[in-house]
Parts: sequence; structure tokens; C-alpha cells
Amino acid sequence: GIFKRNNSRLMDEILKQQQELLGLDCSKYTMEFANQDNADQVLNCQSTLKVLSPEDGKAEIVKAAQDFCQLVAQQQRTHTDLDVNVLNNLLSSTNGFPDPDLVLKFGPVDSTLGFLPWHIRLTEIISLPSHLNISYEDFFSALHHYAACEQRWGK
Amino acid sequence: MSWIREGELTILERFCANIIKAGPMPKHVAFIMDGNRRYARKCHVERQQGHSQGFDKLAQTLRWCLNLGIQEVTVYAFSIENFKRSKEEVDGLMDLARQKFSRLLEEQENLKKHGVCIRVLGDLPLLPLDIQELIAQAVLATRNYNKCFLNVCFAYTSRHEISNAVREMAWGVEEGLLEPSDVSESLLDQCLYTSNSPDPDLLIRTSGEVRLSDFLLWQTSHSCLVFQSVLWPEYSFWNLCEAIIRFQMNYSALQ
Repeated sequence: GIFKRNNSRLMDEILKQQQELLGLDCSKYTMEFANQDNADQVLNCQSTLKVLSPEDGKAEIVKAAQDFCQLVAQQQRTHTDLDVNVLNNLLSSTNGFPDPDLVLKFGPVDSTLGFLPWHIRLTEIISLPSHLNISYEDFFSALHHYAACEQRWGK
Repeated sequence: MSWIREGELTILERFCANIIKAGPMPKHVAFIMDGNRRYARKCHVERQQGHSQGFDKLAQTLRWCLNLGIQEVTVYAFSIENFKRSKEEVDGLMDLARQKFSRLLEEQENLKKHGVCIRVLGDLPLLPLDIQELIAQAVLATRNYNKCFLNVCFAYTSRHEISNAVREMAWGVEEGLLEPSDVSESLLDQCLYTSNSPDPDLLIRTSGEVRLSDFLLWQTSHSCLVFQSVLWPEYSFWNLCEAIIRFQMNYSALQ
């Protein structure tokens, strides 16, 4: 996708906006891109940005399934080895990342459109009309809505 | 109480149904029937009463779907996570299941009349043996009916379903029936509990919660999601119409 191909341009824009919006405080909030090779980065900085596209959805699950079946074909695993946790750990594009607590959905379409189906099992899905000219008030009220959500975890 | 409420729509309901049916209609609707316990608290009755009224509402909603020409309905009746509830509540829900599945076996004529095929989806071995037997009987008894389909997710989570599908494919590889390269999105589709159904067009969750709670995560990736604040036992024909209209508004975007 466009965002994935233009990492550095996206980072420049983020840094510029941080300076504009946060003024002197902006140095407190470091931001790093998370990519496949640098799982350590995730632990060392305050904010990490992961850019995803539709291929990180079902296609990732299929890839994990293929990888597991490959191990089975090579007799390194049996089918009974596979449970929810094993499959979870095989999903590579989101390795080291916790499941999203909140999805902020922009636009008029009432659907997740294939976004990380596995990972959003408990994610709160809050919609905002558009990311264009979004106001801080709108953003904050979405966070407020999230804070009011009560998870019962099945209990 | 019966699985399908008898009765036709009122004149006003029929009038609105005809208007709605002029637009695109969902063929398969999924429901997360949430809010039974909050309803019970609100009405100062026992939780078990809330669940029982929840079942009655399911029967009524099925009736509305039949009247609207919606051929397939999938409902989230009991999650694997719900086993974490108190023994008293879980036993109560299991008793409700026993009662309702037994009732289902008694009303064969009604099910035959409406041509309802009942399927139960989930990790059924997690359930008490006698309930597994009742479920098996109910599913066998209705398996040839094909006018409409009711899928009841019981002892279900989506992650367990997907893991089970991958395990089946891995078993296929072990038995030499498949190569790893045969593993694909459509093969996985065919190994899910829902393999006999098209993906839901519309997913409705009641009680105001805005999450999927491990329900049909794979199958609803491109479905219209409608979150409604009404508690499930209070669900009305108008709530259903509202959800269908939202589906219609999203229709061209989701094609």
C-alpha cells in the first residue's frame, strides 16, 4: 500500500505535526515504526506505529496455516499440536504486538473491511465520520466512549 | 415456549416490511443476543428469567426474519468464555438448553411446516453428554429441511473454530490427502463449522456493546456491522427494520 511504501515521508509528517500540535512537549513522545525485523524497538520507545493493509488479515492466517501444515508434512508436528495459542503465535505480522483494545473507524462504511479478523475478537469498535479535519474534541469523545466500555470477558 | 413464534405481521409491520423489501435484503443475518442479564436487573427478576425471555425473543425474531424473507439466521447463544460464569448460572443455561432442545424434538410438525434446518456450531464435546445427544437428535431430525436455516452457536468461539479448521487441514496433510500448498482461504472456509452457509450480510449486536466478542471473526470481515443499544429481550420489529435499513445504506459500498 501507499503508506507502507512511503514510510519515511509518513514519519516526516508525523514529526512535523507533533511539533505543531504539542510545541515544547513533543520531545517527550518518541515515535518509531515497527517493522518485521526490529521487535526490540517496540519495547524501547513510547509510541510505535504499525502500518497494515488487507494482506495482513485473512492472508496472514492462511500463511500461518500453510507454515504449520509444512511442519506437519515434514513430520515435525502433528495436527493435535495445533490449538488457539499455537495458531496465535504463528501469526507473524503482528508478533510482539498486543491485540488492539480499540479500533477507531473512519468513514461511512459500517464494516471492519477485513481488518485483522483474528486480533479484534475483543476490540471495541468506535466510528468517527472522517479522518479529514478531525477535531481534538471528536477524538477525545471517542476515547471517552472507550473508557466507558465495560468488558465482562464472558463472565 | 416454541422455537418459532406463530403469527403474522401486523398491518403496519407488513406495510413497512414491503417498503424495506423494495431494497436489497440481507440473505443471512447474525445476532449477538446481548443484554439478558441487564434486562433482568432492570426488571427486578432473576437472571434465569432474563435468559428465558431472551429465548422467547429469539423465537419472535426468527418469525420476523421468516416474514421478511431472510433465509438464514445465525445466533451466538453460548460462548466458551461463558463457562467462566458461576456454576449456578451455567447450570441454569444448560437446563434452558435441555428444555429448548427437547421442545424442539417435540415440535417436528412445526419445523417441517416452516422447513427449518437447525444446525448447532461449536466445540460440542465441551457440553454435558445428554445435551450433546439432544443436539444431535435435533440436527438429524431437521437436516433435510431447506426453506430456512437457523445456526445456533453453542460452546463456540471464532478462534476455536478457526484453529479447528487449521487442525483439520493439518490432519489432511498428515493423512496424505492434502499438500501444504493446497491450504488456501477457500479451503479454510470449507473447514469452518459454517461451511454450509454463505457469510453473514449483516451482524447485529444488542445492548450497546461495540465489540465482536470472538463471534464469526472470519466470516464477518466484510459484513455490515450494526450495534444497537436496545437490550436483547426488548428487541422489536422496528429495531430489526432499522438494522436492515443500515444494511441497505451500506449495500453498494460493501459489494
